[in-house]
Amino acid sequence: MNERVAVVGYKQTKHTFDSPVARERMIYELVKSLFKDLGITRDDIDTFIFASNDFTDGRTISEVYTVPRIGSFMKDETKVEADGLSAALYAYMRILSGLYETALVIGFSMAGSEFRVPLTQAYSLDPVYERPRGIINYYSTSALQASAYMKKYKFTEEDLARLTVKNLQNANNNPYAARKEPTASVEDVLNSKPLYLPIRQAHVSAYADGACAVILSSKKAAKKFTDKPVWIDGVGHFMDTYYIGDRDLLAMEHLSAAAKKAYKMAGIKNPKKEIDLAELHTNFASEEPVFAEAMGLFKPGSGKDVVKNGESGIDGAMPVNPSGGPIGANPINATGLIRLAEASEQLRKEAGKNKVKGAKTAVVHAQDGPGAQLNTVFVVRR
Amino acid sequence: MPGHIVRATVPITFAYKNRVGHALEQYINGLKEKKILGVKCPACKKVYVPPRTVCSKCHKPIDQMVEVGQEGVLKNFTTAHVNIVNGEITGVQQPYIIGLIKLPGASSLISGIIKTPSVHDVKTGMKVKAVWKETTQGDYNDLAYFEPA
Ligand SMILES: [Zn+2]
Repeated sequence: MNERVAVVGYKQTKHTFDSPVARERMIYELVKSLFKDLGITRDDIDTFIFASNDFTDGRTISEVYTVPRIGSFMKDETKVEADGLSAALYAYMRILSGLYETALVIGFSMAGSEFRVPLTQAYSLDPVYERPRGIINYYSTSALQASAYMKKYKFTEEDLARLTVKNLQNANNNPYAARKEPTASVEDVLNSKPLYLPIRQAHVSAYADGACAVILSSKKAAKKFTDKPVWIDGVGHFMDTYYIGDRDLLAMEHLSAAAKKAYKMAGIKNPKKEIDLAELHTNFASEEPVFAEAMGLFKPGSGKDVVKNGESGIDGAMPVNPSGGPIGANPINATGLIRLAEASEQLRKEAGKNKVKGAKTAVVHAQDGPGAQLNTVFVVRR
Repeated sequence: MPGHIVRATVPITFAYKNRVGHALEQYINGLKEKKILGVKCPACKKVYVPPRTVCSKCHKPIDQMVEVGQEGVLKNFTTAHVNIVNGEITGVQQPYIIGLIKLPGASSLISGIIKTPSVHDVKTGMKVKAVWKETTQGDYNDLAYFEPA
């Protein structure tokens, strides 16, 4: 049995809305370049875990085409049909088991250019009730959640626009982000196309082509890769029901439970004080206050003040998505894993313009399903 | 050749004939008779609409069908300016309301379209009632929409 698992390497692509190369080459180049950075080869990896999805790949058992690219030919390999942070959770457990010392996790998609994102989302909806009825989808579910939050806590459209601009500015300073709107103003967001109000086009994350690879290792093997391991000290993973009408879209008890479990494992009693930054997988800007509050990072209903006082900004008391988050790039399947890479970069003091000063502990979040039906939470430390 | 991306277009069209299962079958049959049915969990007494066969919380089978009321309270809504059909997001001529409604006797909320003369007339907390198709035929569209009660 291994007792502690660390992130020992990570790399993401420069995400785009139309990749100049095919996915196979994209992930090959990413993995080779990560191996080169660390001075390793595929022989140094014990198990490989893909985060991908047959619908986003447009083929079944889709890893048969990608195995040669990441170096897992004739090696222990598997795939998770969920976000990359779920794959990282598998990798973490495999290493804890003691059967493996090292793992490569990779998530990717061509969500910017090769398929219609809402179509792949539709195939994850309940096929015998929601799909034939056609009114509940990822967008309308998140709109209902946003609407509930905004009404209950007097969070205005302008507050939401400010939050969006905060993330767009962070994304603008993130070299990997696809969406670059340096001049976007609160007015621009308020005037963007209405979809399912209160959700407008500007609030929607940037579905992009891209990939992220992360290497995890046992404590014993970590030295071979880096002298700056980032420890995974807590994990939580909970799913809610798929019936929207059964769920408390505001309280998000499943996310709250996942966060509490991760905090408990990591010995965190007061997340507001003990956590230095959060990287959240938000598909819509409106999800940020809902998720952050469910995770105990802010007081419930404080979103308005948080925005006003800049508390979630890079220099704030609790920076949320200093990377810009998925507003800057949402290559489905990689998005939550990118949060882990971004947080690791911050803790290793390797972040560029978006550096959060003195960050030692971070919380990382990923979601799947409409309105974040499934949530994964990691606590990571340097 | 740099700058030139060759693409293979690969359409995927498949239709399934999924069985809706015992619970939804009864729900749909109920719609034909202009009734809204739910199921009551024998353990936690929650009434789920639409019905299902297992209570997630109690992990117990549920088979006690109960009829719920048709005039309820609008708990939450969004104003849709688009439709998503076959993965395409397209604008609609007339914005419409998608709401979550609490019906009397139900523990869960039911989603539906709310029709009012203007979308601006819609408020959370308002009373709404089910409107049926004149001739029902045993499908989800029998319960056409909800309107102010
Ligand atoms: Zn029950």
